[in-house]
Amino acid sequence: MTESRIQQHLETYLKALFDTDKPAALSIVQEALDSGISPESVVFDVIIPGMERMIGGMISDNMVTLSQHFLAAQIAEEVVDRLIPLFATAPEIQGHVVIGTSHGDFHGLGKKIVIGCLRARMFEVTDLGINVQPERFVDEAVAAGAEVIAISSMMVHTATGERGPKQVRRLLQERGLEEGIRIIVGGAPYRFHDGLFRDVGADAWADSAAEAPAVVARLVQEVRP
Amino acid sequence: MTTGMDRFAALMSGQTPDRVPIICNLLDQGARELGVSLREYYSRGELVAEGQLRMREKYGYDTLLGMFYSALEAEIMGCRTIVYADDGPPNVGHLVIHTPEDINKLHLPDDLHAHPRFRELATCIGILKRESAGRWPVLGVVTASFSLPAMLMGIGQWLDLFLSGDPELRNRLLELCSQFCSRQIVALREAGADLIVYVNPVASATFITPQKSREVALPWVIKDLEVPGASGVVFFNGGGRINPILADVQSHTGIGAYYLNPFDDIGEARAILGPQALIAGAINDIRLIDWSTDEIDREVERIMHAGKQAGGFLFGTLLMPFRIPDENIKALVDAAIRHGAYAGNRP
Repeated sequence: MTESRIQQHLETYLKALFDTDKPAALSIVQEALDSGISPESVVFDVIIPGMERMIGGMISDNMVTLSQHFLAAQIAEEVVDRLIPLFATAPEIQGHVVIGTSHGDFHGLGKKIVIGCLRARMFEVTDLGINVQPERFVDEAVAAGAEVIAISSMMVHTATGERGPKQVRRLLQERGLEEGIRIIVGGAPYRFHDGLFRDVGADAWADSAAEAPAVVARLVQEVRP
Repeated sequence: MTTGMDRFAALMSGQTPDRVPIICNLLDQGARELGVSLREYYSRGELVAEGQLRMREKYGYDTLLGMFYSALEAEIMGCRTIVYADDGPPNVGHLVIHTPEDINKLHLPDDLHAHPRFRELATCIGILKRESAGRWPVLGVVTASFSLPAMLMGIGQWLDLFLSGDPELRNRLLELCSQFCSRQIVALREAGADLIVYVNPVASATFITPQKSREVALPWVIKDLEVPGASGVVFFNGGGRINPILADVQSHTGIGAYYLNPFDDIGEARAILGPQALIAGAINDIRLIDWSTDEIDREVERIMHAGKQAGGFLFGTLLMPFRIPDENIKALVDAAIRHGAYAGNRP
């Protein structure tokens, strides 16, 4: 009975995401909670599958759009933040990521979507914002004890320039931090050129925000003792 | 000598030109040609015009691009900080709209020529028009009202506003952006632009569903073009896929030319648009950074083959990254000239 109710909530939630209807999506979340479904189940059986099916393009034969990605991740982040304090036991944190857009890049949309996906998947995320200096990526990662630095770039020159991921890599090398911190990149230039992440010194890239948690989880595993 | 204008004119009158016209969207590379910084280059319309003229002469494509950088429109709308790089386009460094109240304070210049940056752009286009002497179409570029807010408030905030925000506020902003867009089209034509490239990435299927595009974006495309008209307007993808919205845009706006994304299928676009509309197919120009000349040749051949089958075809690029090596730009245009020739006109 509960399982079928959850499934029903998931289906209506997916429809609201597909229609980019935020009020409807939030109202479905509230209805699920009001009907007695636990906060854990709402997060793990509705919100996260909804986000991943939407962002992974699995609910439609049509292409899933950035606005749908954006909304799915935004709602996931908001709801997870609200419901985690209500969990019976605190969830295990999967890893710590510092994230920002590369120096000179003022496009924050992709980063926002990825943050939503990571937080919903129980990663701790430090958002450094846009136009981040390479030194700051490294300093903040060290200060936070982060395993992964995530660098988003919307433009070719901010992805490939000397103050972008390349310099973050050099700083990790110079400070002897490469064993403990991995770099992941993402953004439009990498989607147009799937080998570009290696050229800029990254360890990995994610083609979509939905892939990011799995790739980050792998990177975290690589560096954890 | 057959000119770019001859080729465009042939296509627009339903005839076959000697070869597929080539649009090569080089911008920042003009500074490299002149040996000046990007900041200096974009400070004066004369310099940008000189850069564009030299590049067209050097590579041999068919158009002249009367554009500085996208963020210039935000500057005219009140953006106070433009961030320059050494190796890429200038960027918006200050968002004009931070709060909903800022939308109500937004002010359009009554006369675009009163703004010094627009004057420089108009100067550039005027020089291109004069020096072209009717040989090479001059392209003016304008951002659609539905996409301009992304530069004024950031794309995340714009998505928030039009997906879930106050509809009255959204419409107020779009009304202003639409007036700005219409005025720009008129002013760019007056300055000498032969064609207007209308850039609307946020309306594309990469950003929103075709249904949403039809409901919330299309009415503003219609409004943008209400006063200036759709004649000579090219609907440009702006980096998003547009095949799924082509039918709506064509049937409601009268736009006659569509500039596809590299991931849009050219044959599919022709099937959607019917025989009359012109189609520009774009190469994935980020790959031009490190493709070999053989790889460039094969990709150009593939696009030209699809384009010639489709008919009414132009070959183009998106906005070409600064890092593309000079020899690859040459290889691109050479391949486009070679593979774009129609039977009986082989170079």
